[in-house]
Amino acid sequence: MKRKLSIFLVSILLVGLFAGCSSDSKTSGNGKKDVDLRIWSFTDELKKPIKTFEEKNGVKVELTIVPIADYPTKLKPVLESGVGAPDVFTGEIAFLKQWVDAGYWENLSEKPYNADKLSDKYVPYVFDLGKDKDGDVRALSWQTTPGGIYYKRSIAKEVLGTDDPTQVGEMMSSMDKVFEVAEKMKSKGYSMFPDEGAIRWFTQGDNPQPWVNDKNELQLTEEKMEYMDYSKKLRDNQYTALAPEWSPSWFEGMDKPIKVKEGGKEKETQVFSYVLPTWGLHSVLKTNVKESVGDWAVTSGPSPYFWGGTWLGVYNKSDNKELAYKFVKMMTQDDEFLTSWSKETGDVLSYLPVTETIKDDFSDKFLGGQNNYQFFLDQSTKITPGIVTKYDQQLDTLYGNAVQQYVTGKKSKKEAIKEFYQKAQNAYPDIKVPKK
Amino acid sequence: MKNLNRYGYFFIAPFWLVFLVFSIYPVALTFYYSFTNYTGSGEAQLVGLANYKRLLTDTYFVEAFFNTWKIWGVNFALQMGLALILAMIFSDMRVKLKGIAFFRAIFYLPNLITISSVALLFGILLDWQHGSLNMMLMKVGIISDPINWLNEPTSAQLSISLILTWMWFGHSFIVVMAGVSGISKDYYEAALIDGANRWQTFSKITIPLLKPILLYIMITSLIGGLQLFDLPMLLTDGIGSPDGSLNTMVLYLYNQAFKYNNYGYAAAVAYGLFVITLIFSAFIFKGMYGKERKQPRQV
Repeated sequence: MKRKLSIFLVSILLVGLFAGCSSDSKTSGNGKKDVDLRIWSFTDELKKPIKTFEEKNGVKVELTIVPIADYPTKLKPVLESGVGAPDVFTGEIAFLKQWVDAGYWENLSEKPYNADKLSDKYVPYVFDLGKDKDGDVRALSWQTTPGGIYYKRSIAKEVLGTDDPTQVGEMMSSMDKVFEVAEKMKSKGYSMFPDEGAIRWFTQGDNPQPWVNDKNELQLTEEKMEYMDYSKKLRDNQYTALAPEWSPSWFEGMDKPIKVKEGGKEKETQVFSYVLPTWGLHSVLKTNVKESVGDWAVTSGPSPYFWGGTWLGVYNKSDNKELAYKFVKMMTQDDEFLTSWSKETGDVLSYLPVTETIKDDFSDKFLGGQNNYQFFLDQSTKITPGIVTKYDQQLDTLYGNAVQQYVTGKKSKKEAIKEFYQKAQNAYPDIKVPKK
Repeated sequence: MKNLNRYGYFFIAPFWLVFLVFSIYPVALTFYYSFTNYTGSGEAQLVGLANYKRLLTDTYFVEAFFNTWKIWGVNFALQMGLALILAMIFSDMRVKLKGIAFFRAIFYLPNLITISSVALLFGILLDWQHGSLNMMLMKVGIISDPINWLNEPTSAQLSISLILTWMWFGHSFIVVMAGVSGISKDYYEAALIDGANRWQTFSKITIPLLKPILLYIMITSLIGGLQLFDLPMLLTDGIGSPDGSLNTMVLYLYNQAFKYNNYGYAAAVAYGLFVITLIFSAFIFKGMYGKERKQPRQV
């Protein structure tokens, strides 16, 4: 009796222990029957396309959304082991380069995909970013995310005498000119930018170079070093509203004047412009601006840049590659779908056959009727391909940190750069860092 | 007879299985990785003691070590001081404060808030241009220009220490109170009759008898403190700004592994942290109990 009881108790304990695992494998077992395709992404923007895809093909697709902060850490073990892995997964620019080289994505340059043939159908830099180090295409994207400077028309009219995007863009076509505008803004009590971080996208200047070159050397160009001075100038001359990106006051400044305390005085100032890319219009400005709708416009800054972007590809261990690529194809090459998608969301596409036909009749009420589509397409072709490296995100953060040290007067320029070199070397022991 | 003993193994088997799979295996694997140049994907290559050699000369790790100690030390001193003063007040036979259950709950509350909410809350309170703290100080006239609390190394470290104190003093207070209520009232009555004042009763009766409790708090707090990660990660940019002052050991480990993909080196950092924790725990333990044995308790 005692023996039976104890065996019974032990088995209960063991069942309890394995309950977690067994129920898990059960759902995925069942899932294989119910779900034809699994997709992982970090936003919900694929929800609608997936619905369209399901209706078109009569299949069932399961979308797993993992917040961006955890996305690489959660996806990596799944891809390494292949257990519970998606058939299609997206990648963000921040870790894209690392992933195309890691070999998780199927080689799309090979048969039956032959993606190389598509090369001239895409905005060059977008197509280029999906290639691995051997030049094989691993991921494709439907969008392009070049940036511009969004500004308020009413302020431009008052201070600069015009609100025409081309003319305003002309006035900001170099950093020196930007400072001229900033000075004019300041004299009328406006702030040029929310804070000095806004100009970080123009650090490349006229000389775009990758952070780390082919010889594995860290490159801090003269232009990037000059950016330190530009930042400090913005701060020292009080051209900004001291509202760091994504802070509550940064959002507040879009719609109304914000208070700034500097040098023992408090003043109220309105921010003239925000440096944001294509998606900044839809997911940042439009969602936060209520009163000044229609008073905005977008124009170019001192140099073209892009910020963000989503690529997608087929998992190389997927056992449903055909359907998986079908989805990738719909997202990136389907004229009909992409046309309706673009019209609905305003997303600027990188697939030229579609953009050619739709770009002319776009106009955005938020931007006072401006055709931002045309503008962004023009910008996207000016971007130099091949300057993105897998180090970018971390090196940008480390460099931004060094700039901040200099701007706030904690370190001299030399010290700040020296520290940046040390930290870069510490993070990436393999790269060659200038000794001085 | 022999067979009877076997059932015991079955009973401990579930624990051992979980322990082996989720504790021993990762710990052993980490140890293996600490001798490799693993980058998170692909194959790991053995590199011998290179990672440990680098660890010993890594100024950033040393910086992280001292940062962690500074932040934890200030926090611990304040937290224990506050907990002991409160315990002294609440356990005083002469004062007989009421409502201890209420205060206990109030003091403990901050500990129940998730750390990300705490970070968000203090991020807003300590904000440079629009933070409530600066606004208050400026209204009162103590400062004329807002202070960028989280941009000055000293004030940033102090902020973290104070937030930790605020979160943890209630916990320490409860544990100390539990210890105090375990001390026989006879001692206090005797001391009262002998004419001992509050400080004497506290330092000669409460503290010595609380030693095991204090040791417990100290060791758990030390182990938790050396693993300080979440607040420094969330309050500034996650890589230890300003000027590396919030770069703690675990934050450094995290960044090496998950931001820079130096998994092998991060594993070595983890073992460095383990050794440090081990040494200091042993040190405290020895210090507390070593004395005890030499001096027999006399009360």
